[in-house]
Amino acid sequence: MQLYDPTTSGPQRELLRAPPLTSLDGKTIGILENGKLNATEMLRELARLFEDRHGCKVHAAYSKSNASAPAPAQILKKAADEVDFLITGLGD
Amino acid sequence: MTLSRPAKDAGEPFMSIAARIHEVPDNLLAAIDYCYEKGWTDGLPVVPPTLERVHATLEHEGRPPETVIATHPATGLELSLHAAAVNAVMAGCLPEYFPVLVAAFEAMDKPDFNFHGSTASTGGSAPLLIVSGGYADDIGMNADVNLFGPGNRANATIGRAVRLILRNVFQMVPGISDKSTQGHPGKYSFCIAERMRGNPWPLLCEAQGYPKGVSSVTVFAAGGFCNVENHGGNTPQQVLSSIADAMASYGCITLGQSVVILAPEHMRILADAGWSREEAQTYLFMHAKRSVEGMRAVGKYRASEYEKQHGAHAHQLVETGYVHRGLAPEDILMTLGGGDAGGHSCFIPSWSRGRGSIMQHKPIGVCIDCN
Repeated sequence: MQLYDPTTSGPQRELLRAPPLTSLDGKTIGILENGKLNATEMLRELARLFEDRHGCKVHAAYSKSNASAPAPAQILKKAADEVDFLITGLGD
Repeated sequence: MTLSRPAKDAGEPFMSIAARIHEVPDNLLAAIDYCYEKGWTDGLPVVPPTLERVHATLEHEGRPPETVIATHPATGLELSLHAAAVNAVMAGCLPEYFPVLVAAFEAMDKPDFNFHGSTASTGGSAPLLIVSGGYADDIGMNADVNLFGPGNRANATIGRAVRLILRNVFQMVPGISDKSTQGHPGKYSFCIAERMRGNPWPLLCEAQGYPKGVSSVTVFAAGGFCNVENHGGNTPQQVLSSIADAMASYGCITLGQSVVILAPEHMRILADAGWSREEAQTYLFMHAKRSVEGMRAVGKYRASEYEKQHGAHAHQLVETGYVHRGLAPEDILMTLGGGDAGGHSCFIPSWSRGRGSIMQHKPIGVCIDCN
């Protein structure tokens, strides 16, 4: 008996990871808040730890209006141009 | 407006899709077990997707099997007609059900439906499909007694195929990319037909503006089902106030949309009083509300949500000092369904606390203005 595989999707895409940072010291950190209650406060506090421990510079926060939808491409592109690394969070 | 049915692909029907094929022992139970072992099921046994059954299903769709009908916005995973047919077979669909499944995913693919968010979220919603028009009768769907319950192959298997596609093609696997806190039974299957018999209101497909004879499927990211019992009320206000109370319960009230399926006993009360769908929607919107003080008392008040409802674009029926369910009467889909006996209607809330998913619809088996 021959069965089709039900998990077949479209053509495989080539996905690349960004090269890892060799050090966090002095890097510019971005924050992407997702609109959830207290998201901005929590992420700012997290960013402050990077400031204290690694001398990072915190960039103005990026925002997306819908927590459950992917961040708009233009926001991610802007962030990629402006910061060395970005932190975000999911959930409440 | 032009209607068309996609022309048959003249080329080799299954050569252009890189579908993987698994060789399994020529034994039905072993094949079912193989599907379990591969992680392809929703926990219940599936029909092994043999090549012949999948090809027969694709006969009900004229476009090439590699045609993509939905794309996951975060992962880029794509749903081809071929993959949809494989999962339809596994769910137990007959080939003639396939156009409903295709239309449902074309509707879910609209960005405002946000099928990624509504499936991945802790909210634990399921896509509710409401099939409207003659096609539901053509394929033997149930719009009558035990509407949301078991017993009808089309209802059960079309809804199940939606779940299998979310799991198998889009990899929305419970615990990994489906983080539902509790989920609900509709995540196995949640598909009904709109009842035409005795329905005093325009069918949904008519209200949606489709040409005469064209059926539609509406998709709604649905939370759990809430039964609304009222056997004593005999005016539209009494019946609808019961429903409005369910819609405005502290556990359910959000700015989201609603589905209300009126039982025939309840619908007759409205129809005898001459109430239109629009009048009923307006009544529900006006009465499904909670005071700001009450919302604060249970910790659910958010100023940004209040502003969204009461700001510059507020509906004229919005009442100061109250949070209504939804943003406007049109946010409440209302129609007829269920068996003749019993004062049991239902309210089904939308997923999310806000406007994370907006219901969508598509025509079944036809393409409008595609030429």
